[in-house]
Amino acid sequence: MLKKIIIILSVFPLVLGGCKSSHKLETASIIENVSVHKQDGQLVYTFYILTDSDTPSAVAINADSFEEAQSLAAEKFIPDMSLSKLELLLIEKEARSEVMPRDIEYISTQASFSPIARVAVCDNAVIEKMRQVSEAQNTIKNQIVLCKKNNPDVNTDYLSVFNSFSGGRDKTVTVPYIGGNGDFKVTTIEINK
Amino acid sequence: MRSEVRFSSKRLLLTLMLCACSVILLQNYSVPAELSFTLKLCSLLLGLAVCFICFLPAVLLKKRSGGDLLSLVSRRSMLEQRAVGVFYAVYFLYASLYFLTPYCDMFCKKYYPDASPCLVAFLLLACCVYAAFKGANAITRFGIFLFVLAMLTNILMFGGSVSSLRFDSGAWAIEGGADAFARGVNYFATPCFIAAIFVCLAGEARLFKLRHPLIAVALTGLKFALVLFFITFAVGEYAQRQEYQTFVLSRVAHFGSFAGVESFYMALCTMSVFMIISLLLCCLCKSFNKSGSLPFTASFAVAAFVLHFIAASNNSVKEILTDPLLLNIFSICASVVVPLLYYFRSSFERSRHA
Repeated sequence: MLKKIIIILSVFPLVLGGCKSSHKLETASIIENVSVHKQDGQLVYTFYILTDSDTPSAVAINADSFEEAQSLAAEKFIPDMSLSKLELLLIEKEARSEVMPRDIEYISTQASFSPIARVAVCDNAVIEKMRQVSEAQNTIKNQIVLCKKNNPDVNTDYLSVFNSFSGGRDKTVTVPYIGGNGDFKVTTIEINK
Repeated sequence: MRSEVRFSSKRLLLTLMLCACSVILLQNYSVPAELSFTLKLCSLLLGLAVCFICFLPAVLLKKRSGGDLLSLVSRRSMLEQRAVGVFYAVYFLYASLYFLTPYCDMFCKKYYPDASPCLVAFLLLACCVYAAFKGANAITRFGIFLFVLAMLTNILMFGGSVSSLRFDSGAWAIEGGADAFARGVNYFATPCFIAAIFVCLAGEARLFKLRHPLIAVALTGLKFALVLFFITFAVGEYAQRQEYQTFVLSRVAHFGSFAGVESFYMALCTMSVFMIISLLLCCLCKSFNKSGSLPFTASFAVAAFVLHFIAASNNSVKEILTDPLLLNIFSICASVVVPLLYYFRSSFERSRHA
């Protein structure tokens, strides 16, 4: 009995050692969504932090690529940034040609990203709405799910977008397109590989 | 020393099947990407055929004497016992590191990047020493629990990936070079290490039937084929961009908003590696006739930890420790060459006496 107690007592500090660099859930910076748009000819990456308030908590970074934006955000604004729970990557139509092949390629090599995060192209009004109202993010996700149900061939998640870009015989990749002034009208858009 | 408890052969083979299945769980660019799905299946069939053949010498020994190789060796001179013991000790140590190194690497790269690989290895080895001390009977009982967890994980992993399936007609074509095919066969033959474990533990199994290893190898093949199928058609090209493709498959699996079953996968992986190393340590002690000796088991675990520590800092050592060809050569020597030598030698001696 004494032996067992000694073993438990000696293992206990080792287990607790894992809590040394832990963060409380409410202070952890879990990135839920990322949007990319163009402003004055430059790409702006906006990281939306998971929050329960009505107004979104977002950090906008001017950068040339997702890789640069991610390292800048982690370095200057969100030190404990976690992208493992990323649910949505929203790309403005004007920024699409710069973002789509390059950033998709980069994300595919990163172990922390979820391959089933949703990807969609949108217009500038949607990006603006998303930055103002938290609820807009959930509405967009629901619309993408509906779009997939109505049109099974559309590539709504990152995994299928990447696979369509890198393989297959089709010359175009179909992804959801969200437009409209606040009513989030979802259609599809074909992108050349 | 612990007295040997005999247990059901079915239970032993179930445990060995779970050990063999962990090979595909830890695969990291091991299956050649240039092979089409059809050729991958062909190389899988050939690899597992080699694996089944490796069981036959142990089966012959079991049928003839009812025991295992080590009980045959124990009747020989002390020098011979030591020589065979050293060979099996080196093999089992190598096999332990073959699984420990990729497991720690995967744990730290994919699941918990802040953890130190050496700490993970230390904790796992400490648990394995305790399990090996308890003996093969206790480990195979744990195998029953692990089988249930493996079933649940497989259902979640494969069921959750069904919605991501995309059939590419090119995957069914027969494409890929002879070199890639040979590498595929070599990789899929690595589960033959279970035959080497069987060579040492066959004496403890009762009610043995030839169909038991056949079913174990067939179920291993089924699991491998399912993993290959889902990696090819559900994960697709993305799998080649990420390390540890089966882990990626567990992340892709989703049921509506419930996404990613990597925690189940990690639990299965951890317990499988724990069971493999425990069994190997158990066999290692048995090869020196020191079953149930805690200091003896612990000393080999320390040796394994030191080698893992060297491998963590030296890439060329790591490459040697994770080379499937080396493991296969070793496994074939341990499960085919040495048992056959003893089989023919005892046959020859019998005929001479007659």
